[in-house]
Amino acid sequence: MDVAAFDIGLLHATIARALRRGGDFAEVFLEDRESLGLRLEDGRIEQTSGGREVGAAVRLLSGERTYYAYSDAVDEAGLTAAAESVAAAVSAGAAGPEVVDLGAVRADAGKNPVLSPPGDVAIARKAELVRAGDEAARAASSEIVQATIGYGDTRQRVLIANSLGDLVFDDRTRTRFIAQVVARRGEVIQTGHETVGGSAGFELVDEEIARRVARTAAEKATIMLGSKPAPVGAMPVVLANGFGGTLFHEACGHGLEADAIAKGASIYDGKMGEVVAASIVSAYDDGAIPNGWGSQAFDDEGVPTQKTMVIEDGRLTGYLYDRLRAREAGAPPTGNGRRQSFRHVPIPRMTTTYIAPGDVTAEDIIAATPRGFYAKSLAGGQVEPASGNFVFGVAEGYLIEEGRITTPLRGATLVGNGIDILMKIDMIAGDFDVKTGICGKDGQGVPVGTGQATLRIAEMTVGGTG
Amino acid sequence: MFDVIDAVLERAAARGAADVEAYGEQSTSHRIKVYRQEVEQLTAAQRRGVGVRVFSAGAVGHAYTSDLSDGALDDVVQRAIDNAAVSDPDEFAALPAPAGEPADVETFDPRLVAATDAQRIAIALEVEATALAADPRVKTVEDTMYVDGDGEVFISSTAGVRGSYRAGQCYAFAYVLAEQDGQVETGYSYSVGRALEELDPAAVGTEATERATRLLGARKCPSMKAPVILDPFVSAAFFGVLSSALTADAVQKNRSLFAGREGERVAGELLELVDDGTLADGLESAPFDGEGVPSGRTPLITGGVLQGFLYDTYTARKAGRASTGNGLRGGYSGLPGVRPTNLVVAGPATPLAEIVAGTERGVLVTDAVGIHSGANPISGEFSVGISGVLIEGGAFTTPVREVTLAGDIVGMLTGIRALGDDARWVPGGSILTPSVVIDGMAIGGT
Repeated sequence: MDVAAFDIGLLHATIARALRRGGDFAEVFLEDRESLGLRLEDGRIEQTSGGREVGAAVRLLSGERTYYAYSDAVDEAGLTAAAESVAAAVSAGAAGPEVVDLGAVRADAGKNPVLSPPGDVAIARKAELVRAGDEAARAASSEIVQATIGYGDTRQRVLIANSLGDLVFDDRTRTRFIAQVVARRGEVIQTGHETVGGSAGFELVDEEIARRVARTAAEKATIMLGSKPAPVGAMPVVLANGFGGTLFHEACGHGLEADAIAKGASIYDGKMGEVVAASIVSAYDDGAIPNGWGSQAFDDEGVPTQKTMVIEDGRLTGYLYDRLRAREAGAPPTGNGRRQSFRHVPIPRMTTTYIAPGDVTAEDIIAATPRGFYAKSLAGGQVEPASGNFVFGVAEGYLIEEGRITTPLRGATLVGNGIDILMKIDMIAGDFDVKTGICGKDGQGVPVGTGQATLRIAEMTVGGTG
Repeated sequence: MFDVIDAVLERAAARGAADVEAYGEQSTSHRIKVYRQEVEQLTAAQRRGVGVRVFSAGAVGHAYTSDLSDGALDDVVQRAIDNAAVSDPDEFAALPAPAGEPADVETFDPRLVAATDAQRIAIALEVEATALAADPRVKTVEDTMYVDGDGEVFISSTAGVRGSYRAGQCYAFAYVLAEQDGQVETGYSYSVGRALEELDPAAVGTEATERATRLLGARKCPSMKAPVILDPFVSAAFFGVLSSALTADAVQKNRSLFAGREGERVAGELLELVDDGTLADGLESAPFDGEGVPSGRTPLITGGVLQGFLYDTYTARKAGRASTGNGLRGGYSGLPGVRPTNLVVAGPATPLAEIVAGTERGVLVTDAVGIHSGANPISGEFSVGISGVLIEGGAFTTPVREVTLAGDIVGMLTGIRALGDDARWVPGGSILTPSVVIDGMAIGGT
């Protein structure tokens, strides 16, 4: 099946069939995804795996209700069954609106250019990179006891058609390289993690990059071998650039997603225009960063991605919408309607979310901190959008004493509240960086970028074991 | 589906692959969300696909497809062969041989598929209505869901493994927000079963609301070293993380803190921990695992002493023993990996009220955030954020939140000194556990 050349007449007929008994918006989402994953552990490339999944979803909206059906059968019978299924579910009534004619297919191939399509590269070549990573990790220190090196690429082609007449094709290639390294000294075991990825092709990784990523992970693990248990208590916390952005993503970003707002389940509900952060804080969600890991030309509802300002000089300026929540709120969609695959209903999701850089340096911030906690790399975290309360594990952390980074600390978590910590940001550096991750929400994982420059939170609770 | 996977084996043979396993899956599922007593989302789904493993001189390649056309089956076989060509050979990697009769466990209740959308919707509506009515401080029920799945799996290999079974399950879930004096707290609850008739929607709604409202007015408590009671939800989350260290995969790859400790005391002596894939009411039960190996019952910790680990075919060969039937797959696109089936935490039970009455100062933990990010299954150290209720002088006093609980897993297991009488199944990993009482935990607050 070729998604790009799919029978447009059948798409139109499917949309009309879905609307036959009511509803006010219908959509067909076709997907063809090819993936390859290589994983090396214990010095050995394990069961190499790859495959292809094709499928179709039909979605019908009726007011605030969503009816959704999907199937792996991308043919007339499959689409008809899915359309019948959603039409049968809507309360019997008058037929929905006429389906606007689907015009020419829109695409925007130039947004995330792929220089070297991974599908054209021999698997053996990808295997070489994984081996190079393993070699570099083990060469980094005699204390490295395990390295897990992963390479993955996917090509996802989607065709989205809806009753408004939109017909969008998006050809998305993503490539990622991951290193997780374990170091051991006596009874102490520590892990380090590093990754590089983007909406780009095989040009993203070469031997040198693979080695650098693996070495960085190995160094993180080794440094933490000399760590002491983190202290417990409230203190200034300096969040490093890159991985530190995970905190903004979890603690604040999820509360800006319009489904949480619509249900009153966000601390940002009803706060548009109000001060929600220190005045030095501006923040964005940007799904259109060229080749960004969280980027794609269109979202999974066929809306072009964009840069959305969510906080300007400390004031709340925007939420992140999919079509459904934008309709309800009378706001334009922001290109944040995303889904993991055709098996998932699109919901508002972040793309690349970040706090904009400031004008001091990271060194200035450390020097200005007599005693505090430096979180170099976060392990991930969880948040309750309703209360804004969050917890983060710190993968790599240090004590700051007399304006200098000193002892590595392990087992630390950062505990706090989203609005509270944004209000307490008192210094932001200019060393902006973005890291890649997979964000989970409602059982759906999507690629996201998280970013920030080094910044300081005047006071935050550190939970440690020391 | 047997015709499809047999076709895969034939095509692989035609291409010279001798050791091949094909795994097929087809399923239907429903997911219904309600909000403010209206259907918010209704999803009906069909899923099918095949996965192929090719073993070539100890090197393994895997490929999968959801397209079952002739061309796609040719393609998936070729991909698996190509992938095997880049994997490194391993003397212990081999096609699983037939390993005996499937376990005798019923995993499908025909009442599940006799249900109508109207009945499914009614369950979700009752969950939400009960949650809303249970307390005036309920702000909203953010998520109310009914979900079911009915799936058949098929496996066939050139080694002679062949089998299929059908499994069905459903659950109801609620996530409640309660508010008082501008403070929002959350609570959730589940009910799981093999048919709608086994679900208790009213209990889900009531409990989700109770769990949210009991935290209203919560604040930080002072830092202390004190006993904690992990309720079954929190206990299940901890044992879920811990279980990854009890797989032979983690042990053989130097990633387990339990490596080399078989026969040693690793937990309070009353603790029993068993993996059991044959329990009638365990939702992860199955006649056989993702490699066709019969499911079994594997004691992990008995009387506080570490008994052994979980194995799939590969790790078992490496250890010179038999698979425990724990080579589980996450669907047709996934490779088998060593994972628990149903985990059962057991031991002598003490009435919960008695435990609380006997606690001079401690915390009942009803929610823990960050277990997956704040716990390191390799080193065993963890530090997580918790909510719960303070116990003072043998009685519940004030709710607490934004405090941390820290320690290490072995220390925590060793500190287990009592188990409650409130054992229940917690989904998300299928764990049967009561409340667990642990001495001397570090609580970080003000």
